[in-house]
Amino acid sequence: MEQQMTQAEARNNPQTKVMHIAPIFRGVIWATIGFVVLDLLTVAVDPFRGHPLVTEPSEVMGWAGALIGWLMGVGGYEEMILPLFGSPSTWVEPKDWRKYFGLSTNHKVIGIQYLFTASSIFFVAGMIAMAMRYELMQPSMHFFTYTGQYLTAVGIHGSLMMFGVGTVVLISGLGNYFVPLMIGAKETVFSRLSGLGHWLLPAGALTLIASPLLGYWDTGWRGYEPLASQDPGGIVFYYLGVFAMTLSTILASLNLAATIIFHRAKGMTWARLPLFVWGILTVSLLNLIWQPEIEMTFVMGLLDKLIPFHFFDAMGSPLTYLSMFWLFGHPEVYIIVLPAFALWNEIIPVMAQRNLFARDWAIIGLIFVMMLSGLVWAHHIFTNMRNSEMFPFSFFSEMISIPTGFSFMAAIGTLWRARLRLTTPTLLVLMSLFNFTIGGLTGVYLADPPINLQVHDTFFIIAHFHYTIIGGMVFTWMAAMYYWLPKMSGRMFNETWGKWLALWVFIGFNGTFGQMFLLGLDGMNRWVPVYPPYLKPLNYSVSLFAFFLGAGFIATAIHILWAWTKGPKSPENPWHARTLEWLTTSPPPDDNFDGEVEVVRGFYRYDHDEPSAYLVKSPDPME
Amino acid sequence: MGNIVIFGVVWAALTTLAEWVFRANRAHSFYYTISNQGSLALSAFNFLSSWLMPIFIFIALIMIFSVVRFRAPNNEPKPSLVQAMRNRWYIFIWVGASFVLNIMFWLHPTSVDLEAMFTNWRQEKAQHPLIVNVTARQWEWMFNYPQYGITQAVNAAGLDEMDLPVNRPVEFFLRSYDPFHTYDVYAGVIHSFWIPAFGIKEDVIPGETRTEFLIPNHVANFHTNPLVRVQCAEVCGPGHPYMESPVSVVTAPQFARWIAYQKKLQAAAGGA
Repeated sequence: MEQQMTQAEARNNPQTKVMHIAPIFRGVIWATIGFVVLDLLTVAVDPFRGHPLVTEPSEVMGWAGALIGWLMGVGGYEEMILPLFGSPSTWVEPKDWRKYFGLSTNHKVIGIQYLFTASSIFFVAGMIAMAMRYELMQPSMHFFTYTGQYLTAVGIHGSLMMFGVGTVVLISGLGNYFVPLMIGAKETVFSRLSGLGHWLLPAGALTLIASPLLGYWDTGWRGYEPLASQDPGGIVFYYLGVFAMTLSTILASLNLAATIIFHRAKGMTWARLPLFVWGILTVSLLNLIWQPEIEMTFVMGLLDKLIPFHFFDAMGSPLTYLSMFWLFGHPEVYIIVLPAFALWNEIIPVMAQRNLFARDWAIIGLIFVMMLSGLVWAHHIFTNMRNSEMFPFSFFSEMISIPTGFSFMAAIGTLWRARLRLTTPTLLVLMSLFNFTIGGLTGVYLADPPINLQVHDTFFIIAHFHYTIIGGMVFTWMAAMYYWLPKMSGRMFNETWGKWLALWVFIGFNGTFGQMFLLGLDGMNRWVPVYPPYLKPLNYSVSLFAFFLGAGFIATAIHILWAWTKGPKSPENPWHARTLEWLTTSPPPDDNFDGEVEVVRGFYRYDHDEPSAYLVKSPDPME
Repeated sequence: MGNIVIFGVVWAALTTLAEWVFRANRAHSFYYTISNQGSLALSAFNFLSSWLMPIFIFIALIMIFSVVRFRAPNNEPKPSLVQAMRNRWYIFIWVGASFVLNIMFWLHPTSVDLEAMFTNWRQEKAQHPLIVNVTARQWEWMFNYPQYGITQAVNAAGLDEMDLPVNRPVEFFLRSYDPFHTYDVYAGVIHSFWIPAFGIKEDVIPGETRTEFLIPNHVANFHTNPLVRVQCAEVCGPGHPYMESPVSVVTAPQFARWIAYQKKLQAAAGGA
């Protein structure tokens, strides 16, 4: 405690700066200046015929200037640059709501910033999906004006959902908020880096959303070469936007992994580490391995576009790009879903007040999925493969379902003959298990090359991966939001509304994506705003369910926002959970625990009343 | 014990019902399949479905069962009466079954079918197959029949079309480049050659020539079933949705007449 006080004073200049402008507005202004200066400088040095003010190289340099201006403007200048050159930081973190609109070093503030940003991205990308479904209600172009416009919408939807929501909400969002609390830490290891990292996410998302200004790109979220190299300038903003968003994830993962390794409370041994923390640790390692890999690939794609190098066209090797993309691409889906596996087994024992069944198997499952996920990538390119290579990739793709099953085994073992409280989080976790089962079992078909060669690149695939990602991750995200709402806000949601909304989303989701399996088998291929008319009835029906699903998500968001601000006050530990985050007040104080935490036993036993941990209150400094 | 018995009975009943319904419909799992390669994929799909249905019903039923049978009467935080953290038999059966099933799936259908597929290809290669050169460009499929001297098969309106004789092996040579712009290295992108009714697709990659073998085994065309079409399955630019061509599987005499017609068209166009 004392050490923290001295640190805080050393960092803050006695003559603290009074900001007359909100940090994000200063960020926007500095970003604009950064873009204009570097863009004009580039076109001055490297003019293009006709002398346009924005060229492909200049938009890259201008974007770099804008990103630096933005990061400096939101607080990076005071918090990072001044200390780097030996001056004390003049940054003051406000105590009120303003703290969410500038650089913060508090992991709970950062977590909420990530949750808010990712939810906004989810909304934008979801509205784009609604537009796509509206277009697909008719077999001809009737809403989008040009097929390239539709394909750009597909690409922005996919990239935003994968890099701005899927990899973000459970890791950078809930992970940032709850991992330090769950291990009894008072702060994270790289707090300033983590705080700066959040601001890369809105920058990246806005870059992607702005990409149509520079021309419609049509590769989807995978950026397949050599198509990407013939696309107009919008593809450059795809590379840059994804680069910023993945960098944000790398920084969050680095910080969380380091915090888990170095900042655990006394008695928090590896054997006692909560499931969710194991989930975050495994995905952080996956992020640290694979996100730099895809960034390097995108840098190559970008250089190929600007220079050009011919890395990936007929003069180079298109297949190299495909392999490099999926080397990251398959671990990516496990990055998204591993924390969800962990959360199932975090929430079920609490709601059942029952010992977690086979905890060690559940953790081993997470670790083996992490390790196997790097060995299966080429099942995405069976249509490009030498016959002999099909055997090993098919084999590993089958085998990864074994450790995945361990999470199910533990969850079902815990549910069996329990006294299960059917709350909204319970219901959503059960729905998530149900949906992910469909996503996982349809993956067994895809691991079989003869079947894969037929259904690859059809709506069967779209249905499959939405079942794993929405069905597995988004349902668990909603469950976790309800489960931890009392902790984050001190307030409670409405159980009746929670359950009806869960049912609403469940029906909308299964109606939408369940029918897409049939569409795929009936010959509906991907990336088409125009399709043979015989597919119209089924597409029309899918779209109706999709609108129902979209409305359900919005209603859920409104319910959660209402509960967060206006819900009834919640008791301190409404679920009677044992993990450490419930040892402190709701919402937790700035330094998490008013004292020192000492863990004395594991968190997943409900057959006794002994506490798992003690909070030794620190003496009042005033005395 | 009672729970296990009830669960087992319900699970067995639902599985039987599902298998029975599936059996009545499984010939159409892929809607419409008219090639030997497609039959292979279809039988694998149906085999896996038969085995995956009990697993799906097991998990789905557990979810429903938990809500119905194990639901707490109220939300009081009372500990469950059963607190087991281990059940040797359950873990043994779960882990054992997941290994056995996955290894089985890999051996059959995967390995068995892949061997069958590659053997078919070798045999079809030896049977002097009909050769069709398929060229994918942005955004058009072009079909060339070198054994008959047909440079580019088209209909009367000049649109590309492909006719195949029924029950005769075909070897497709797949290439992606633009024959009208061979100087432009950017012109070639990845396409994917897919005839939904034949049950197979293969990517067409610039700079590579790929082959694919199959035997169409039913007379059909785009008008009898819309799945009998060439469809580009890999996004290849704004024209991707329009990159499709009609296919006709015809009898041998019909094919001979079609070839004669193509020769006449070609001659009328000034030869090639």
